[in-house]
Amino acid sequence: MAGRRQGARRDTRTAYLLLGPSLFGISAFLVLPILVVAWLALQRWDLIGPRTFVGLDNVVAVAADGRFARSLLITAVFVAIVIPAQTVLGLVAALLLNRGLRGSAAFRVLYVLPWICAPLVLGVVWRWVLAPTDGALNALIGRRVEWLADPVLALPSVAAVTVWTHVGYVALFFSAGLRAIPDTVHEAAMLDGAGAGQRFWRITLPLLRPTTFFVLVTQIIATFQVFDSVYALTPDGGPQGVTDVVAGRIYYEAFEQRAVGQAAVMALVLFVLLVVVTLVQQRWFSRRTTYDLST
Amino acid sequence: MRTAGTYLLLVLGAVVTLAPFLLSVQTALKSPQQFASEPVLTPPAPPTLENFAELFGDRYDFVSPTVVTAQVVAVILLGQLVFSVFAAYAFARLRFPGRDALFWLYVATLMVPQIVTIIPLYAVFADLGIRNTFWALVLPYVFGHPYGIFLLREYFKGIPGDLLDAAKLDGAGTPRILWHVVVPVSRPILATLAIITVVTHWNNFLWPLVITSGRQWQVLTVATSALQSQYNSNWTIVMAATTIAILPLTILFLAFQRHVVRSITITGFR
Repeated sequence: MAGRRQGARRDTRTAYLLLGPSLFGISAFLVLPILVVAWLALQRWDLIGPRTFVGLDNVVAVAADGRFARSLLITAVFVAIVIPAQTVLGLVAALLLNRGLRGSAAFRVLYVLPWICAPLVLGVVWRWVLAPTDGALNALIGRRVEWLADPVLALPSVAAVTVWTHVGYVALFFSAGLRAIPDTVHEAAMLDGAGAGQRFWRITLPLLRPTTFFVLVTQIIATFQVFDSVYALTPDGGPQGVTDVVAGRIYYEAFEQRAVGQAAVMALVLFVLLVVVTLVQQRWFSRRTTYDLST
Repeated sequence: MRTAGTYLLLVLGAVVTLAPFLLSVQTALKSPQQFASEPVLTPPAPPTLENFAELFGDRYDFVSPTVVTAQVVAVILLGQLVFSVFAAYAFARLRFPGRDALFWLYVATLMVPQIVTIIPLYAVFADLGIRNTFWALVLPYVFGHPYGIFLLREYFKGIPGDLLDAAKLDGAGTPRILWHVVVPVSRPILATLAIITVVTHWNNFLWPLVITSGRQWQVLTVATSALQSQYNSNWTIVMAATTIAILPLTILFLAFQRHVVRSITITGFR
């Protein structure tokens, strides 16, 4: 008994020794920043000079500044274009990949390739592909289209690049989800005379619901934070500010306008927004999904 | 017929996926003269490495960002592996008061977006006087990330207790158990975590952009971005830069694709 208690005490000491570094790292670089950003939201600071307490002035200024509200709207539109497109294309790719053809594994790997590259660097590559005079796409189609400089086309173009980057990743999840559906379910339906369309809508899609939900929620959260590719493709918010997404707005506000307090307010709003989305999804998740992780 | 149609679509997808990569490499292999005088899509004739030579020459000096990036990634990788193994072992195999609450805290921090932490971290690092240093680049990431700890914890929980008990009976302390039992049986998951870490930090852009200034500690992503905005229409040089920024990861990816693909489906990393 005494030995076990002593062992438990030794376990506790060892555990805290082992946890020390990560506990320090996570407190200092993930938890503390939330407190500091809340404090900065109450200050006026230009990155170099002294900080002065201004109370809720920054909140009032951000509320009055239409650009933050606009950037939230732009981001929502961006998410609304990207998510359906990459989900549908990813599902189609997964269905093609799961027909059991030779070489499917190689295609699967190939499709994920863009996803492991730096979004910033891919953005630079695409900026050239979409360049008006010496770009590859216009050379290919033989027309001069201002993909990134036209206020109407800029946001869809940036969204298209984001979709291109993520389709393979989404397909990977759907592919795993499809493989988790037992063949016998489809065989039984076939025996009952269900056509391909019926089987897809009545069996495959409902059984994929957990995967679909996981993909949608994680991708919505990630897409809401888009910065690197947008920054590379359309710096300074794009033509007439049409690609001024939230993360970009916060970056420009803090590090170019040097209005750190206001940027801190915006960052807090984004944080709260994403926490709410995450909590809602966890509610859903714990209730209705069992996600098969085997591949 | 159905098979042919499937292949056609799969190949079409592959072409759309690969085209930007191939186009950028072929442009990087063209002389600026050829790029200026001939249609964009013509192949390089003859292929030349002069863009790469110039990129690594005195004018653009891409040697420095490449070396800095490699160093940053190496230090972060070492720290993440060691400290994640420590933390994951404590959560998976030790009993101590506050364990569940702490683990919940770790997982909860996954909700914090990078753009939110950047402003306060900049303020703290500026106050500490370590802005624009090597340590500024690595400190926020070197102590382990909740994702990696979570990933390893799940794996460590599956290690047979007998294996650990046998080592304990032989008188091995925690460091020896970690090094001689836990690490050897966890190679696949450690490889996965290593790849996740390398990919994430080779590609990191926002934090290095904010916390460094000037050439000394510029990483590859920031250097590529700066090069593009400075030499906008010098596309042969810019494409040489993107090739350098992408190529090492592509090779790593192709070599370890099984691990990467598996890790994505397990964790949905990033």
